[in-house]
Amino acid sequence: MSICIKEVGRTFGAFTALDKINLIVEDGEFLAILGPSGCGKTTLLRLLAGFDAPTAGTIEMDGRIVGSPRHSLPPEQRNIGMVFQSFALWPHMNVRKHIEFSLLHHQYVRTALKKEYKQRTDEVLRMIKLQHFADRMPAELSGGQKQRVALGRAIAPQPKLLLMDEPLSSLDAELRIAMRGELQDIHRLTGATIIYVTHDQSEALAMADRMVVMNRGTVEQIGTPKEIYMHPKTDFVARFVGKANLIKGTWTGKTFSPDEAPDSRWPDPGVSELLKKQAVYPARPEQLALSRASSGIPATVTNVQYQGKEIHYTVRTNGGIWRVDTDLSQNYDMGDSVFLKLKSTYDLSAEM
Amino acid sequence: MKWIKALFLGKGRTVPGTARFSFPIRIFSILCFALLFVWPTLRLVALGFTSEKGLTLANYQKILHDPYTWRVVWNTMMISVGSTAIAFVLGLFFAWMVAYVNIRGKKWMQVFIVLPFVIPSYITTLAWTQLFSENGLVARALALLSIQGHPWNLYSYTGMIFILGLTHYPLVYLFTVNVLRQIPREMEQACRASGGSKVTTFFRVTLPMALPGIVSGTFLAFLASLDNFGIPAFLGIPAHISVLSTHIYQQIIGFGPDAFASASVFSVLLGGLALLGMLCQWLFQRRMKATETSVADREPRYFPARMPKVLVESGIWLFFLVTACIPFAAMMITSLLPAYGLEFTLQHLSLQNYRFVLLESPDTQMAIRNSLRLAAVTTVIGAVIGTFFAYLQIRRPSRLLKISELFIGLPYALPGTVMALSMIFVWMEPIPGWNPGIYGSTLILFIAYFTRFLILQVRGSTTAVLQVDVSMEEAAQVSGASWWQKWRKILIPLLLPGILNGAGLVFLTALTELTVSALLYSAQSKTISVVIFSYEQAGYTTYSTAFSSLIIILLIIGFAGLSMIHFFWKRKVGVHHVDLH
Repeated sequence: MSICIKEVGRTFGAFTALDKINLIVEDGEFLAILGPSGCGKTTLLRLLAGFDAPTAGTIEMDGRIVGSPRHSLPPEQRNIGMVFQSFALWPHMNVRKHIEFSLLHHQYVRTALKKEYKQRTDEVLRMIKLQHFADRMPAELSGGQKQRVALGRAIAPQPKLLLMDEPLSSLDAELRIAMRGELQDIHRLTGATIIYVTHDQSEALAMADRMVVMNRGTVEQIGTPKEIYMHPKTDFVARFVGKANLIKGTWTGKTFSPDEAPDSRWPDPGVSELLKKQAVYPARPEQLALSRASSGIPATVTNVQYQGKEIHYTVRTNGGIWRVDTDLSQNYDMGDSVFLKLKSTYDLSAEM
Repeated sequence: MKWIKALFLGKGRTVPGTARFSFPIRIFSILCFALLFVWPTLRLVALGFTSEKGLTLANYQKILHDPYTWRVVWNTMMISVGSTAIAFVLGLFFAWMVAYVNIRGKKWMQVFIVLPFVIPSYITTLAWTQLFSENGLVARALALLSIQGHPWNLYSYTGMIFILGLTHYPLVYLFTVNVLRQIPREMEQACRASGGSKVTTFFRVTLPMALPGIVSGTFLAFLASLDNFGIPAFLGIPAHISVLSTHIYQQIIGFGPDAFASASVFSVLLGGLALLGMLCQWLFQRRMKATETSVADREPRYFPARMPKVLVESGIWLFFLVTACIPFAAMMITSLLPAYGLEFTLQHLSLQNYRFVLLESPDTQMAIRNSLRLAAVTTVIGAVIGTFFAYLQIRRPSRLLKISELFIGLPYALPGTVMALSMIFVWMEPIPGWNPGIYGSTLILFIAYFTRFLILQVRGSTTAVLQVDVSMEEAAQVSGASWWQKWRKILIPLLLPGILNGAGLVFLTALTELTVSALLYSAQSKTISVVIFSYEQAGYTTYSTAFSSLIIILLIIGFAGLSMIHFFWKRKVGVHHVDLH
């Protein structure tokens, strides 16, 4: 299903939850909507599902207007499936009944599928690896199993659009990683368009074909995970997705000099015009390095966190507090005086 | 017109795309609500200010200058405050024991504690009077032990206070026990770890935190005592001790020249006292910070040693034996005697009172039929309307619904006598010059029951709707379910336990309701309570005890049946696993 969102807004009284959202989703795409809580991503998802209608703009699905301030097609008449953050399993139905419910009620199920709904249910149960748990009640399932039932219920009628509202956030860390693979498999198997809402940037980066970063009801940036990570357009995206340190300084053409180390010259890996205008350099923690040699920005180590494969340092300079990730070979203690600079692989001034 | 629109729309929040009710339907429903729930009260108040000559303050002047009025008010206050004190002590003790102390048999204790909710207070009163009657068990025991003296005369101030207290302590208990369970045990542990003793912990942490619950329950017990009609009617009227509720009743059935106007003034006094009580409670609650809603912790926190534990347990069961078993046994004994005052021996035993009540008296059969029909119709219609209302109020809150809930709560909050009186005034002549014949028929009882008890259903259903997360419904919708399919397959199955809880309460309350019925019944619409009351007033104690015993047996069977259904339902669905997140 292709979706076209035009100038969509949603206000609640004086509060603007969504402001002039424009977005086109291609058929079969896995799109992640990423943002902090309260950024409007869930509101947008509810507009797509039809639980709510926009107060401005239109939403089109396959060329048909389904949502506008005047008219909103109710969810049961849209060709969608949805996975809820809380799973929303019905406590009085077993696993099989959940799958059958959407097969029997969904209005876009192919007649062949509906006729053979028992076979289709078995097929879905195999897909979500719960064929031996078909008679269990939700209360008798683990978190991951509940998650798969919710997924099975959503995909059984083969909807053309799957909406997912932070589906992994109720699971523990290890399961969350494991389920990512399963979601990607489901996407491959069903070919459905997936719109996936999350506040976890690593989930979005790992699974999505494209991602939308939202903040305060507006879209900050749309692009592939690589574009968003490597080339953030705004300071918000740089900080939220790449955890970047925004170091103040002066841009002269394609080189940057930090205010606290005017002699250093940092290269331009494709920093956006907006950030250049703001006179900052977005340096992700892994792009920075510490050294005792007296070149770079003078800093003091204020926190050390040993992570096993790397070490996370927090350092303080006159201009602020920064995060630096280094490999295990670099050892500094709290209170050490060091110098902050761009890692040599990124730094041009070392060559000059 | 602007404020009307604001009323309908709520906080400027519109939900486009969902079905909304058209304007005429809203106007119609608000008119219905006003007519049924608010208009009667206004009519009642207005009547006190009218006489044949038009508007007047004469009724108030006359009554407020009569010293007897103040005597009745004093009686009412003294009896209510006294019984509330008993309810407070008993309720707090049992709540603390059941919530915190490691004693056995709590489930059964709770059954005995809520028993006064199931058994109507006039039957309890009847049972106690049999225990302390001149030939009752107590008198017999005194004689056997050759102790001089008479058993306690329950037809007195102390008798009324005692039985009212016993009847209303479950209110204090229920409110307190929930709050106590919700206080996180870490709060108390933190006090102990900071050096506080057990006693300090109780007074500085537990008690202040439980105060909202204790205060709510205590005020409710006070309001219930003000409202109660059965106990002062059975004990006070024979002893010529009047309280406001019985005084209003006697004015009405006395049919004096200005009985209605005077009853209206007394109703305003009683209603005013009740509202004052509610206001105090509201003010107090507003000052308290709501405790963080945390999960109820049902595990015990205090582990007494073996001896004290056994002692406490036996004390509690002795209390139940004395308050809940022996009086009813005494009542059964009276009901099995062919004539009142006969000695209880095997030869005298007979079932002739039961035969009379069940087979010979046309009154009792009609009363059972009437009460069952009234209760059933009230329950079914209430369950549908109450659940629908509760659902709307939670899923689509608006100012209109909030105000409507106040309306719905009004007839239950007002004392029953006041409420019944206002029903008479409204339905005798809803529009001046037009008498639709509702007053004096069964219909007025139905309207009265429905308006009075609807709030119970609304509360039960509200709790049920709150426990079903909105995502349950949304999941059904995205799975393609229509409005009707969603209700039939998802909502009703999930809401049913809560709806049944409310409906069961409405049914039980309506089945044995006395206060309102005593003022509204007619020859053709006598209810169970009215028949028991008239037997007792006419001195047919053997019949009233037999009929009461039958009702108790019926209630116990019904209660057991409901618990069974609940038990199996819980096992099947696992209600406690409903996803709340």
